[in-house]
Amino acid sequence: MGMGGGGGKGAVSEINVTPLIDVLLVLLIIFMVIVPVTPHGLNTLIPQPPKDKTQDQPNDRTIVVQVISNGKGEPGYKINEDSFAKSALEPKLAEIFATRQEKVMFVKGDADLDYSKVEEVIDMGHQADVDNIGLLTPRVLAGQ
Amino acid sequence: MGINKRDEGKKVNSNINVTPMVDVMLVLLIIFMVITPMLNNKVNVTLPTANAAIIMDNANKEDAVIVAVTRDGRIFLGADPLSVDDLGPKISAKLENKTDKEVFLRADERANYGKVMDAVDGIRSAGVSELGLITEQRDQTISAK
Repeated sequence: MGMGGGGGKGAVSEINVTPLIDVLLVLLIIFMVIVPVTPHGLNTLIPQPPKDKTQDQPNDRTIVVQVISNGKGEPGYKINEDSFAKSALEPKLAEIFATRQEKVMFVKGDADLDYSKVEEVIDMGHQADVDNIGLLTPRVLAGQ
Repeated sequence: MGINKRDEGKKVNSNINVTPMVDVMLVLLIIFMVITPMLNNKVNVTLPTANAAIIMDNANKEDAVIVAVTRDGRIFLGADPLSVDDLGPKISAKLENKTDKEVFLRADERANYGKVMDAVDGIRSAGVSELGLITEQRDQTISAK
């Protein structure tokens, strides 16, 4: 243990580096933990009631993805009346929208489902490059 | 161990150790860094995960309109519980002064979808068409994307 003599006259101060590095590392860890808190999300649209009284003709190009609840089991998925397995949904959606200009899709889910099941479908829609995903709620379906 | 001889009453030893002070200061800093995120008026919800989620910075803003639906089906606007019918008018009121009419939805992943749809209907009645579903980041390592 070398002692840097600290007398009254020749003051030689050997600073300990260890506590400095400790403090530095603690600060580093603090900032590594704090930074990633940006909220992430999925953009969706809510269909608004049409302004005019004339009936809006249902477009036969609309894609409606339905999530059908199955009681306790896994829900069933349908694209416009055709049933699909969950794993087949995303490829099929990608295929449908690959050739389309207007990438619009609607999502409808049964009321007794868990929100996450529908959210997964919306996620798959975004993965298939669909930017405009509309949510069909009871009032949307009734009010049109 | 050198023993500093102190002449009583004559010299004052002012070699203050900085390290304990910095230690204490850091502990206080950590405490406040942990406490502050819990201070925003946010309801605790388990968000679902998503692969294609994009960054929604606007959700962090002070005046962001955030509707939350908990697992037991309660609906909150910010931190205040509401009933579905109150949602519409209250959201309209909040959006009056904003140019960008986007509302954010933080729904629990196990929330009943019927309740979530009721909340969406409430938001729709305020004339909002852009809704952002807030999700959990998936597979994110510590990198600000």
